[in-house]
Amino acid sequence: MASKKIRLRKIISPASILSTVLVLVGHLVVAQNKYEVSKGSISFTSNAKLELINATSDKVRGIIDPATGQFAFVVKVQSFEGFNSELQRQHFNERYLETEKFYEATFSGKIIEQLDFSKNGVSEVRAKGNLTIHGKKQVRIIKGKITINDNDISIESEFTVPLTDHDISIPQIVSQKIATEIMVTFKASMASPKGK
Amino acid sequence: MKKIVPIILSLTSLTAFSQDDLLKELSEKEKPEVNYTFQTFKGTRIVNGQSVETKGKHELEFIFSHRFGTLNSGSYNLWGLDNAFVRLGLEYGITDRLGVAIGRTSTDKSFDSYIRYKLFRQSSGAKNFPVTVTTIATTNFKSSPPANENPLITTKDRLSYVAEVLIARKFSSSFSFQLSGIYVHRNMVYQSYENNDDYAVGFSGRYKITRSVALTGEYFYRLNPKNNTPYYNSLGFGIDIETGGHVFQLVFTNSVGMITRSVVAETDGNFGAGDIHFGFNISRVFQLSKKH
Repeated sequence: MASKKIRLRKIISPASILSTVLVLVGHLVVAQNKYEVSKGSISFTSNAKLELINATSDKVRGIIDPATGQFAFVVKVQSFEGFNSELQRQHFNERYLETEKFYEATFSGKIIEQLDFSKNGVSEVRAKGNLTIHGKKQVRIIKGKITINDNDISIESEFTVPLTDHDISIPQIVSQKIATEIMVTFKASMASPKGK
Repeated sequence: MKKIVPIILSLTSLTAFSQDDLLKELSEKEKPEVNYTFQTFKGTRIVNGQSVETKGKHELEFIFSHRFGTLNSGSYNLWGLDNAFVRLGLEYGITDRLGVAIGRTSTDKSFDSYIRYKLFRQSSGAKNFPVTVTTIATTNFKSSPPANENPLITTKDRLSYVAEVLIARKFSSSFSFQLSGIYVHRNMVYQSYENNDDYAVGFSGRYKITRSVALTGEYFYRLNPKNNTPYYNSLGFGIDIETGGHVFQLVFTNSVGMITRSVVAETDGNFGAGDIHFGFNISRVFQLSKKH
């Protein structure tokens, strides 16, 4: 009986009230300042011995929370266009990325550097997070460039994705036509809808 | 010290929470889009019959089909391999939904040409439509027997027409099914046992075993055969093997023709009695100009 009273008192202690308030305030701050992708594109290049394949999607969505440095980006994999033929696009969806099962590719995590989003300028940053492609999650640190210009920011990044990281297997017969490491270029303009 | 612990705990939970939260927030904001189904079948043929698939814009498909003699023709005939019938065909995608084709079959020296149009596409998401519907109109010209041997047969007599409505659904990434409604009109037939107008329904399916290999089956049921018809309903089974730009289809069927008219209305093999032809379709796709 006595121990229960103590526990109750602990729960409503000033410290826990403070922490509750912090959580709430934290959420309010987060909610007001997030940047969202207004325009973005992801392109990839497979530069193999016998064939060069390019495809691009502009169906990129994303959020950066400047208060915490956390971010999330999503692209609908079926939206990639380009390729060298319609058949190739279908094979990309049907055989390799299996987009009916694995609808999206995502990258979410936290920017390692402490970035002051109120200062204009260009910064090189590292983003650490989970890169999920073909349903397979990999922890990656991806370098990028963030340009801050008042309420708008723009992001540019180039990185490679090894197919084996995401369980994408290429049959022997087309192994000279599809690269084992895919080069990815990512660009996005982001704006904070409510201003800072 | 004790009082600091819950604060730290709540801060960590906030951090963990908002990371998942950002992804969740993105998915909540997602506007629904239309997702069109792709690759209901691997090729424009299932076994002998047509599929709902069309070629992509500016794609040219070369189809090389082969049917050997019957398996029950014995070792003297190397179980049919000594006889071979061939269809050479070309199909071109004018748009992603409209295609035209020409072909020539050695079985009865027929030329065929058809136009294919995908009326509806199976889709999910913002727009839900359960099936893909494709229509095909074919004209055939039978050049056998040659005109100098049989001058009574006019050009008109040599012509026949086929109209097809194909309705297919990809139920899952591995299983697709197609229902076909087929009308065949032949200008000249043997009136005693053949019809000028034939109607048939087709049932075709595909089951993918791996991402490159699939099993197929196809059956055409004739709705109005004459009582004394010497022909049988066409039955076929196949294995689809896909490698890059090629599709290989190995087939076993009681039909020796490779165009819809002969498959539906002129199949003379009895599957149950072993009149089974081994054969294959090989399809190679060329992209003639960049899609975009």
